[in-house]
Amino acid sequence: MFTRFEEYAATQMLGQPDSPPRSEGKLFFSDDWQRTVFGLALALSKEGHFEWEDFRHKLIHAIAAWEEKACTGQATWDYYEHYTQALIDILNQCGLLKPGELEQQMRPDDASK
Amino acid sequence: MSSLFEYDKDREAASAAKVRALEALLIKKGVLGSDSVDAVLRHFETVAGPFNGARIVARAWVDPEYKARLLDDTPKAIAELQFPGMTGAEGEHMKAVANSPTVHNLIICTLCSCYPWPVLGLPPYWYKDPVFRSRGVREPRAVLREFGVTIPADKEVKVWDSSAQIRWFVIPERPAHSEHLNEAQLAALITPEAMMGVALVPSAPRA
Repeated sequence: MFTRFEEYAATQMLGQPDSPPRSEGKLFFSDDWQRTVFGLALALSKEGHFEWEDFRHKLIHAIAAWEEKACTGQATWDYYEHYTQALIDILNQCGLLKPGELEQQMRPDDASK
Repeated sequence: MSSLFEYDKDREAASAAKVRALEALLIKKGVLGSDSVDAVLRHFETVAGPFNGARIVARAWVDPEYKARLLDDTPKAIAELQFPGMTGAEGEHMKAVANSPTVHNLIICTLCSCYPWPVLGLPPYWYKDPVFRSRGVREPRAVLREFGVTIPADKEVKVWDSSAQIRWFVIPERPAHSEHLNEAQLAALITPEAMMGVALVPSAPRA
């Protein structure tokens, strides 16, 4: 029984493959972008743009794909890198991101930003 | 995309740039309010978390009458402290139990929903483990020993199974030699684990 989306969302992940890193009972972010992307996914789902479980499904899938690569050619573990990719995937799926849009936004010479 | 970057530093910078662009783009498109992300994060960082539980316990340590009210009617006593996020249903269903020289309390539950979120924050990963719960019921002293907490044989161990109706938390014993500490300094000693009963609050450093 949850009265807050934030608590529901974070609790669904506990003890699962997509459980976020924590320290002393609190969420642990080693850099500010990790904190931002964690909040981005929660805020977008809270506002109803996608189901939290659908996002989690993409995240679990991304983590499983990383694990399958075993040691050869496997990039070092970075939870929030997978988290970011899962968010981009779900945004593409629900049409909030159009192909190429993010790349365009990232181009430093784009004066329209 | 990560394969393009050979060094972790580059990966970090690439991820940071991607997230920054994503946030800017979504705000530009009107999908996201400019403060939506901060509003969500604030919940974890300042509204609901172990810092609330620590304040409650520290108050109970310095004020025996408050402690008595906390044990008698936990939601009402918590409401006295006026936490921003604990209005209405948020503070309901909670019940405090106090450790004493003769009793040690341990909190367990398999269902993740049965955790006093507003006072303890995110449960640790093992809290949902069925093994922890079943062993907690069967052999709490052995489980506590594995956590590094040895309870003397003549001290009673009580196990409280949280449910949707009652979410328990522990008021640990105030550590020895802590008379010189003020309420805020005491609160800094209190961990979520201590409020679950799987840790004790260590003796305070001498002044």
